[in-house]
Amino acid sequence: MKNQLHRIDLEMFEGPLDLLLFLIKRDELNIYDIPIAQITKDFLEYVDLAKELKLHSAGDFVLMAATLMKIKARMLLPIEANGDDEIEDPRTELMNMLLEYKRYKEATSTFSEMERFERPHYYHVPATWSPQQEDNTAILEDVKLYDIMLTFQYLIKNYEEPATHSVAVEEVTLSEQVGFLNGLLQAKAKLSFADLLEKFESRLVVVVTFLAILEMLRNRQVKVKQSKLFDDLHISRGSTFGN
Amino acid sequence: MIYIYQGVALLEINELKQIVEALLIATPEPLTEARFNTCLGDSDSKIPLKEIIGELASDYEKSGRAFFIKEVAGGYQIVTNAEYESYIKGLFSKSGKLRLSQAALETLAIVSYRQPVTRNDIESIRGVSSDSSLRTLLDRKLLEIRGREDGPGRALLYRTSTEFLQYFGLNSVKDLPRLKEVEDILAEDDNELV
Repeated sequence: MKNQLHRIDLEMFEGPLDLLLFLIKRDELNIYDIPIAQITKDFLEYVDLAKELKLHSAGDFVLMAATLMKIKARMLLPIEANGDDEIEDPRTELMNMLLEYKRYKEATSTFSEMERFERPHYYHVPATWSPQQEDNTAILEDVKLYDIMLTFQYLIKNYEEPATHSVAVEEVTLSEQVGFLNGLLQAKAKLSFADLLEKFESRLVVVVTFLAILEMLRNRQVKVKQSKLFDDLHISRGSTFGN
Repeated sequence: MIYIYQGVALLEINELKQIVEALLIATPEPLTEARFNTCLGDSDSKIPLKEIIGELASDYEKSGRAFFIKEVAGGYQIVTNAEYESYIKGLFSKSGKLRLSQAALETLAIVSYRQPVTRNDIESIRGVSSDSSLRTLLDRKLLEIRGREDGPGRALLYRTSTEFLQYFGLNSVKDLPRLKEVEDILAEDDNELV
């Protein structure tokens, strides 16, 4: 029964810092002078639960528990006075983290408020009709890195490695694949990534080729176009191609 | 009033209002001054978009339209009035817009005040892994990846997008309320304790 209540509680927290802020508020503790022994004890109770419940973020809670115990240990050690150096409170770093997190956490209520306010308004959005697109690959000129990544993930999901029993180690390097793509682009102005996929025998080669494309994109040796998200990637010569 | 356009043509305010109205209906993103000038074919048209918008807006208000012109993301866009939300929802398969989770809002707050930031910056402030909220925010196009950090590891840098400004009804990130200074928080805590 008690666990049931705790479970609900724990899932309310966004992480260990959020939980600490809650404990500080609940017990009216002073954030600059946190009673480490007390808060560590309370915190550990929650962490045990987090582990038990296999919460997604349990690792983050455990890490914080370790930090708290380290601080607690350091506070118990006798302080060695060495010269005029000011002795730093072992809690300072934690306090700064809590304060910094609190600033953003408080800002989220503003965002929430703005979201609530804007929610009922709908933008006038024209139908995505494009007049006389002679080349439909030109629609999305400005392909973002994230789009390319998503597309790659999507394409590779459908890629099946041919069943094979050989165990030979494949050697494929990035520069080899850059060379390979360069060769293809010299012969053909435009390549389709989906067509390329069919040529390859293993996932490793596919991945390395994809990295080669990203590398060439960065050097402006190639341009990548896509007509819509998850669509095939069209690779063509870039401004520095052949240099 | 008559405006000179491209040195020759004379455009009357009513005509300009209609042009702007047509642009507002067709624009896929907020109509900015620069874009407006491009549409007129005159990069330095001197035609005050803001004034024309103001006239249109008051026409809409007087005639009781179900929409208004919103100043957002550095431009103008037509949006519906709030009271029609319950009807508009029926146009979409999902029941209206999905609200962002607390985790996503925290992540978004950190990015908007500290951009450009890396995932690591976000996680060190939140103290938890923020992969899934970043993913949600990227999928909803509220954030975008803008380049990489120069340092070791060349981590990806995240920024807020135009869609972010639209989503929260902001004209620019400068319009975000000032983030409370640490001193303010301390002062409040002191008051609470007293």
